[in-house]
Amino acid sequence: MSLALLYLAACVAYVWHFVGRRLLAGRVATGLLLVAVLVHTFTLGMHTMELGVPPMAGRTGAVSTFVWMLAVAYLAIEVSTDERGMGIFVTPLLFVLQAVVSQGEMPRDVPVFFAVPYVAMHVGALLFAYASFALACVIGITYVLLFRELKTRTPGVFFQRLPSLQVLDRMNMRAVGIGWLLLTIGLVAGALWMRDASVRYADDPRLPHMTLADPKILMAVLTWLVYGGQLATRRWAGLTARRAAMLSAVGFAIVLLNFLPVAYFFARSHNFA
Amino acid sequence: MHLVLVGLSHHTAPLEVRERIGISRSMVPAALGRLADDGCEDAVLLSTCNRTEVYAIAADPVDMGERIVSCLADYRGVERQDIDASLYVRSDADAARHLFRVAAGLDSLVVGEPEILGQVKDAYKVASEARGTGAVINRLFHGALAIGKRVRTDTGLAEGAVSLSYASVTLARKIFGDLRRRHVTVLGAGEMARLCAVHFHEHVASTTIATRREGRGAALAAEIGGRTTPWESRLEAIAAADVLVSATGAPDLVVTLAELTPILAARRGRPMFVVDLAVPRDVDPAVARLEEVFLYNIDDLRGIVEENLAKRQDAVAKAERLVNEEVAAWFGWVRSRAAIPTVVALRTRFERVRQAELERLAPRLAGLGPDARERVDEVTRLMVEKLLLTPTEQLKAIDDRETMDTYSSALRRLFALDDDAARDARAETADDNGEPRR
Repeated sequence: MSLALLYLAACVAYVWHFVGRRLLAGRVATGLLLVAVLVHTFTLGMHTMELGVPPMAGRTGAVSTFVWMLAVAYLAIEVSTDERGMGIFVTPLLFVLQAVVSQGEMPRDVPVFFAVPYVAMHVGALLFAYASFALACVIGITYVLLFRELKTRTPGVFFQRLPSLQVLDRMNMRAVGIGWLLLTIGLVAGALWMRDASVRYADDPRLPHMTLADPKILMAVLTWLVYGGQLATRRWAGLTARRAAMLSAVGFAIVLLNFLPVAYFFARSHNFA
Repeated sequence: MHLVLVGLSHHTAPLEVRERIGISRSMVPAALGRLADDGCEDAVLLSTCNRTEVYAIAADPVDMGERIVSCLADYRGVERQDIDASLYVRSDADAARHLFRVAAGLDSLVVGEPEILGQVKDAYKVASEARGTGAVINRLFHGALAIGKRVRTDTGLAEGAVSLSYASVTLARKIFGDLRRRHVTVLGAGEMARLCAVHFHEHVASTTIATRREGRGAALAAEIGGRTTPWESRLEAIAAADVLVSATGAPDLVVTLAELTPILAARRGRPMFVVDLAVPRDVDPAVARLEEVFLYNIDDLRGIVEENLAKRQDAVAKAERLVNEEVAAWFGWVRSRAAIPTVVALRTRFERVRQAELERLAPRLAGLGPDARERVDEVTRLMVEKLLLTPTEQLKAIDDRETMDTYSSALRRLFALDDDAARDARAETADDNGEPRR
């Protein structure tokens, strides 16, 4: 819970910065988020040393790693662009997700599947891809909000606090591009892992569910198609920046759906907790 | 010593008077030299298109004010009666408050405009480099620069565009980010078009002018360093542009939805910022329906400007509070300086007593080793320091002149500081005459 509280403190500071637009508030917000990330890195590092592999198995470990990756990706973007306007949108997500899993237990041992090659690449790449998509979603939402203010000729809150549409569009497409690349790597690694696993663990009850009919795998492929389509149409078919921004939000809705309810209640292929 | 301000500004003088008394940057060192020749040695001259002001240190502020005015009038070849009515003279805290308000942009024609802070900094730099400036002027201008920055960062006084052309550039920046690779097409070459073209051209890659009056278009293009295109080719120029500014005097629409739709379709999602400054409007309002078109007419821009001006007014009260705080801090520091002669005399007196006692005890201390003698010296010095610390602080903290004078004269009398001063003066005179000191 202490990690969630650290993210909450950063979130409050970002709200303070967004409302008051004080440089000091912005620096405090970045500092608090940095502290949260460092503490989170230390925590995950300790678990990694304990287990021998990053603690990505199980819901708590996966979500916590996802939160850490999202925070790192956001901090990297903030530091490289010197734009803090999106912190108010990202940090609540960090807080809520970390709070959701704060009562859960981190994995205490390594599932046997993790001994098979490609699995760390599969899980790690997918988590980082989802973190990139989360960031793209936030950027996309801010793009739409600013676009609306400019289009309706009522420059206001977002006009004064967000970077330009051009910058937001570039950041959005970069986040989607990186996410899609990692998603591709993750899915390919998953397929390779399944090929090996089907020989080693032929009698595992989860193995028969590892097909396109499994909701989790189906949603992952659907996500890949949505983001791939977004990248292709933006590049070659004149998809407007606003629609690309909206697609980033829609894509992440599918990711969230896959990450939480589908994985919890429907999928039979990925129950490792 | 007092701080004196003599000057005139857009609040008190029309442009023709400001032009006559104004001093260009290259002439400022010579003008400061002239002021120094007239007895005004510690001064800063701030001269911009909206104001000419001299800040100086003087024993008699009224006399110094007169001298500065006469010197400036003489230097610029202006008759006193032509400028007297426009001049203002202020001293001490009022003069400091004026400078702090100027640096903060509170006294500017457009409240919060950013250039004045740089001009204040430059004026101080020129004066420092030309003739050097004293402690009071240094503290004053450091305070002015600090408050200028603080007001801009803490109050939002300088935020938002306050002219139509600046508002257009600000909006374009919010759409495109960096404008250095963007292209602007301007329809028309009247005053509104010119202002917008001049402002945009400072930031963009190219500006193309299309107008029915070719001569005027060519003159505008030459003025800003842009290019022209025949009126008949305007649609090609619009297709190539990221920003379209239209300000013709045409009675009908000059850019229609039917004309712009195929152009936008061919741009494959590239946005266009359209600024319609014409009355009646040049651009069909229906083009705003096109997804990637951001259309702003003159009323939209005026609304933004008025809103920004109103916001700046809201920030004025907060800025004035900050200025008052800085004035109080500066004036407190100046007042504390009045205690310096007494404090110095008091310390000299104590030190003299200490040295005399050490000298008297020297035979008895002779038996001590060098370390112990050094320790005795250090202990007595620290005792004197500690004994004087509180009275020094109390004296500097006194915030009215009368009390300060009373306390100072009491100290001088109690410790016979004036006798010490007289003795020092006699000793110096004796030294000068080659007589042995007693």
